[in-house]
Formats: sequence, structure tokens, C-alpha cells
Amino acid sequence: MIRVLRKDRGFVAGAVVAGLMVLVAITAPLLAALAGQDYTTYHDTLLDSARGGVPSGPLGGISGEHWLGVEPGTGRDLFARLVYGAQVSVGVALAATALEVLLGITFGVAAGLGGRWLDAGLSRVIDLVLAVPILVLAVSLLAIVPQDWPRPLLLATVIALLGWGGTARISRGETLTLRTRDYVAAAQVSGASWWRVARREILPGLTAPILTYAALLIPYNMIVEAGLSFLGVGVRPPTPSWGQMLSSATTWFRADPLYVFLPGALLFLTLLSFVLVANGLRRALDPRQTEVPR
Amino acid sequence: MRRLVPAVLSATVLLAGCQGGGGGDTTGSNAAFDPKTCQGGTLTVLNQGGITHLDPARLYTSGGGNLPSLLFRTLTTRNRQPGEAGTKPAPDLATDLGTPSDGAKTWTYHLRDGIFFEDGTPITAADIKYGIERSFAPELPGGAPYFRDWLAGAADYQGPYKQPGGIKSIETPDDKTIIFKLRKPEGDFPFLATATQFAPVPKSKDKGAEYEAHPISSGPYQVESYEPKKSLVLVRNKHWSTQVDELRYACPDRIEVTAGLDSAVINQRLVTGAGQDANAVTTDAVVGPEQLAQLGTGSALDKRVTRGEFPSTTYLAFNTKKAPFDNPKVREALSYAINRTSVVNALGGSAVAGPSTTFLPPQKALGYQPYDHFPAGDTGNPDKAKQVLAEAGLSNPTIDLAYQNDDSEGIGPKVASAVQEAFKQAGVTVELNAIDTATYRDVTGKPATQPGLALATWGADWPSGGPFLIPIFDGRQIITAGGNFNLAQYNDPEVNAEIDAINALTDPAAAAARWGALDAKIGKLALVIPLTHEKDVYLYGKNVKNAYADGWRGQLDIARISIK
Repeated sequence: MIRVLRKDRGFVAGAVVAGLMVLVAITAPLLAALAGQDYTTYHDTLLDSARGGVPSGPLGGISGEHWLGVEPGTGRDLFARLVYGAQVSVGVALAATALEVLLGITFGVAAGLGGRWLDAGLSRVIDLVLAVPILVLAVSLLAIVPQDWPRPLLLATVIALLGWGGTARISRGETLTLRTRDYVAAAQVSGASWWRVARREILPGLTAPILTYAALLIPYNMIVEAGLSFLGVGVRPPTPSWGQMLSSATTWFRADPLYVFLPGALLFLTLLSFVLVANGLRRALDPRQTEVPR
Repeated sequence: MRRLVPAVLSATVLLAGCQGGGGGDTTGSNAAFDPKTCQGGTLTVLNQGGITHLDPARLYTSGGGNLPSLLFRTLTTRNRQPGEAGTKPAPDLATDLGTPSDGAKTWTYHLRDGIFFEDGTPITAADIKYGIERSFAPELPGGAPYFRDWLAGAADYQGPYKQPGGIKSIETPDDKTIIFKLRKPEGDFPFLATATQFAPVPKSKDKGAEYEAHPISSGPYQVESYEPKKSLVLVRNKHWSTQVDELRYACPDRIEVTAGLDSAVINQRLVTGAGQDANAVTTDAVVGPEQLAQLGTGSALDKRVTRGEFPSTTYLAFNTKKAPFDNPKVREALSYAINRTSVVNALGGSAVAGPSTTFLPPQKALGYQPYDHFPAGDTGNPDKAKQVLAEAGLSNPTIDLAYQNDDSEGIGPKVASAVQEAFKQAGVTVELNAIDTATYRDVTGKPATQPGLALATWGADWPSGGPFLIPIFDGRQIITAGGNFNLAQYNDPEVNAEIDAINALTDPAAAAARWGALDAKIGKLALVIPLTHEKDVYLYGKNVKNAYADGWRGQLDIARISIK
């Protein structure tokens, strides 16, 4: 499989960029220190207050000290805010996806292996989760949660709680197919426990479809996080996230185009890279799809 | 005086932006303006909110509002001049500003001759009395709270639908005379008489809550069509003439108002000025950074802007009943630490906000007296702050700051972050406590739920020190049930007595001097940290003439502009 993936140029490019973004997120404090900046310090002297607080100088105030310029209205270093923003954008998306996969497999396999009534019950729950409009409910949920809860963790949990329906449905479908296979039936006949069948016989068969689906979920969750932050219910100030930066940039797009471009471009690049990775995985793992022309 | 905060008003009330106020500059375009030859054309008004209600009983305006004042003439009205002259009231339906007697507890007005409703019926004193009475009806909520507080024996009046007997303390001995008997001396009565509740309402045409579908006009225009929150079209009222109204020029023949637009869209349309937008103005969309970046660069846009100041202060409010803010040293230390430059920038830069060290905004009419008891310089004095904190025995404390979860009223995350960063320099850790904007004043306005430190904003119902200081510092105005604005929960009998003494003054200049002195005195206690005062910058279309910010509200007055 790895050999197949290596030949897939889209996958390789996506993996490199995605890996780089994860690396940036992890090393954000180091990178900011390297630039000699942090993401909270205001630099009022770098702003033109009479003109609404746009950064003085061309290109959003790019200088030797501020590599990507400063934020309009506050003068905070944009480079530091962008790399710290990666922590939230990438971190929340990864954590939410992991949680969704966990919930999805648990519910999906239980429904698939359980009896008629358990299946019917759990399937309705899954239908319900699938039917819920994520953004709307997440906005209301996040608005009522007390302030002192750790925000990024909360974001990941809310996104996951509202978004595990897809993984559950796929897990259930795959489990229903797998349980009719001879080797699963054999294990059941030989008296293996429910838990053992799920773990030893079903889970390995789920890996490929779930991995592919999860890779697609990551960029989707990133969009949801950016959307929630854009709507003002994401992370709390002064913590930066790309969605929140895009939101505050909407009023500046003419006065300081770079301020819109940078978080927008980063978000776009990261999303694209994760989608490329997901597509590569799908081609490599799902033989039925390899024949389909792209 | 209890309820008003203009920002809220502009969101809830208003038919007209109720923003606007102090110093302003006239633009060059009205050099040769002649109100006698200005008539004609269709004016477009592009607004974000407003026109939610059109009933004069339900509007909460400053000086009668912008659009409402085209339909409703009141006993007095704002003087409609730029600068300081504009901070004074002027007679409208009445012949003068009113005659006080009994130590400013009784106010007598006489109506001028030749005034008619849009159907040609003459306006009588009884119509004005009826207009005020119906504003007490629970079916028509939304007006300013002063009437119930000031008029003698009216505290429990339920409006003419339930109690047709009316309010005994408003007397109409004949068709041309109306007398108000107040519970206490109120020298500011001529300012209150600019409110739309003082507009005449013919009892025979009153349909209760449905009246606002077509309110009967006494002003230069009447309603042709009205769809709440969306559109309003005004056409000329034939029974009004400049002969009986010197203050309104009423130049356009027709006025078309569209509401529900995005602020950025409005300003972009005004900049571009395509087609009918060349004849457009806005009364509630202050320019954004997009336009500010183009202003002051000598571009053509510089000639199409009004700059005014609505008397309003954004400040940090301490709850002095909560530790550690019960300790004056802590409040002083934070006053030294504040960085007003970053707050100004957070609000949109020096064009739309100015730093304030006084609670009263810098308008002479309010009694402004400069003081800076805890000098923080432009960007804060963290060293001094640390030293005072050490004296208080509280180095590196952690405090909570409450603020609104969006920036629509200028006390949201942007300003909160700036305050957080400034206090950090003094070793103070600020935990941010965002509260939903819709419930913010419910939480902060109830002493039981009020946080220790909260961002707040306060604006004047009219250009005078009273409505600015009384709700904030009068100890008898602490309302434990909710709707409290005395966030410091400060109650000093000496200050309360001084407030009563100033209220009895009928000479605005004498009152102003004492309001200013009172503000400077209270300022020493560091009950609040004043942050900024408001400045208003509005764009208008290419063909719009005689647009200037009036001194009362800081925005252009539609009753005076022309598009001919």
C-alpha cells in the first residue's frame, strides 16, 4: 500500500504540506520565539490611528521584526498569530476527528453486531445525529457553556458530538457486510464473545473505510471550527484561530488586503492538503475505486 | 434617566439613529445654501436598523430623532445647528422654551398659531396631553422613563385606554395652553420636551398599537407607505409650511428609507454613489476602516463627510461591593495601568474615538471640566500601577472582566483584549468573561449578578450633565431588582443632595458648571475608569447639500439637507 501511495503525487504533496502544518502547530511557541514575537503584545506605534488603525507602511506593516506585518487595530504580530492559529485550527480538527472515529466505531459496530432491537434503536440515534445541522446547534451549545471551560477542547468535543453520525453509519454498514463473512461466522460459532468478535474480526476490516473517511473528516472539521470562530463562538481572545482572523479581517479587506489573504491562504492550503491525503488514501485502500477515472 | 444607553437605543428604538451630538464641523458645500430655494428631488436613506416602530409613544430618541422629527413636531426641539449652538433646545410647537414656576416644579407652555395635522385639523393642547398619556400605556412600551419619574402622581398611571381620566398633573386650561406639574424641580424640562412623546396625537385617530401603521403627522412629511424594519416612504404634508416652522427646511419632495442593510454595504454604496445612491445619506452607519483609510488623503471623499460627537463615554465600571475593588488603591492602580491608545485603536482609531480621563465627555453643554486624577499617559503607566498595587498589598492579582460577546456596541472582545493586554503590563492577569450582548445589561444591571469589573458605555439623552451623571452616581438610583446603572453602587448623601440642588437650576450654564465640578469630585474616587468618548463620522452622497453634524447628536439632520 505504501508503494502505491508513494507513486501518488497528489498524496505526497498533500502529506508534505499537511505534515508541515502539524509541525508548525506543534512548534508554534518555538517559531514565535525565533521571530522574537508573541501573539498578545500590542504595538500601537505601528498603526495609523487616524486612518482607522491600519498598519503604517506598505503590505500591512511588513518589516524585519514583523515578518508578515501586524494586525490592524491592535498591532499584534501576524506571524506569531498565524502559527498559534495553526494550533487551534489543526489541533481542534484532529482532536474532533479522533473523537468522532471513536464514537462512530463504537456505535456503528454495536448496531451492526447487536440484535434487531439494538440495531433499530442505535440506527435511529445515528439518523438523528446525521439530521442535526451541526453549525446551528454548535453555535447555540457553545454560547451557553460557561466561560471557564477550556475552549479548544470544548470546540473539539462539540464538533465531535454533533458529527459522529457519518462514521457510525459507515461502521454499521461495513459491520453488517463483514458479519456475513465465513470467518466471522466461524468465530461466532466457535463461541467467541461479542467483544472478541468486534475486536479481532470486525475492526481490522473497518480500518480501510474508516481511515479514508476520517482523512476527509479532518478538513471538514477544520471548516466547522473556522466557521464557529468566524461566528464569534470559537476560541476566546486573545487566542488566535484562522477562522477568527478571517472574521475580523472582513472589514479590512480593502485597507489591508494581506490581513485577509494570509489566514485565508493558510486555511485553503491546509484544507487542500488534507483532502489530497484523503483522496490518496481512498485510491490506495479501496480497490473498487481505483478503476474510476479521476 | 434609568434606562438609556444610546447604543441600545439605536438598536431597539429607533427610527432614526439616535446618535449624534457635540462639536461638529460644517462642510464646505453649504456655503451658499438658501433654504428658500432648496426644494425638490427624492432623498434616499440607507440604514442598518431603525424603523422598527413609528408610534411617537414607542420611540426613544435624543432630541426627537432624525426621521421621527420629520413627522412629529414637539413642544420644543433641538436647535439643529452645528457646534455648541446645536446643544440648545428651541421652541417648536410652543412659542418659547416654557415658563418655570414654583422652583422649576411647574412648566407652562403656549402653542403657536397656524399649526395643523396632516388632515387639516388644528393642533390643540389636548392633543399633546393625549400623546403623553398614551405613552404610559403598557400596550405601547419603549419610551424614555422620565415621564413616569417626573410628572406628579403619574407613577402608576396605565394609559388612557385603561384610565380615560388622564393624568391630573398635565393641565390644559384652553386649546393653546398646557401646564405640567412635576414631583420635583427639573430645570432640564425644555430638553425632555424634545422627545416624540410630546408630539400631538388626535384622540379620534388613535388605534392603539395599530396607530403606527399610519401615525398622523404634524411635521413637514407624512407617511405614504411603511413596512416595519424594512422601508418607509415619506411625502410632503400639505398642511405644514415653513411659515410656522423655521427649524425644518424640508427640502426633498420625497424621502425613501431602506433599513436592514449591512453597514459595510451602506458605506460602499455611498462611496460609489451610483444612480439614486448619489442622493443618499445614512443616519446610523458610521464609516468603517475601509472608508477611514481613504479619508484625510485629499480624495474626493473628504468633501462628503460629516464629523460630529455624540456625548457618550465608554468606561470600565467597578463593583465596589466586590473584592478587591472595594479597595480604592486597587481601583487607582488599574486607572494608572490603562492604555487608552490601544482602546481607541480597538474602536476604530482616532477618527471615531478619543481618549477620556473624565466621565463626562468633552462637551461644554454637559459641563465638561478636564481632569486626570490618575495620569496614565497615552499608553499607561504600569510601573506606577505596580507600586500602588504593592501598597494595597495585592501584587500580581487575577481579576475577571465582563464584556459583550460581540463588538456591535463597542464594548466587545476588541476593547476587552486591549484592556487585558494593558493590565498585563502591570502584572495583573485578566480572565475574560464574555456575556451575550442580548443579556449583558440584565446581568450587569442587577447587583446580585453584577461582575466585579465590566465594560460599559453611557450616552446622554440630551446635552446636559444631569442625564449623564444621575443614573451612574445617584445613590437613590441603585435598583436591586435589575436595570441598575449605578454599577459602582455608590451612595453618598452629600452627592445626592448636590444632584437635587443642580436639578432645580433653570439656567443651563450655571447647572453645567456644577455638573462638571461634581464629575471632577467623584472622579477622585476612581469608581470608574473612563476610556474613550465617541466621535461620529458619516458619509453622504454626491448630490447631498447642507449636510452638517448637529451639535445635539453629532449626525446630519435630514430636516435640513437638500439634494437639489
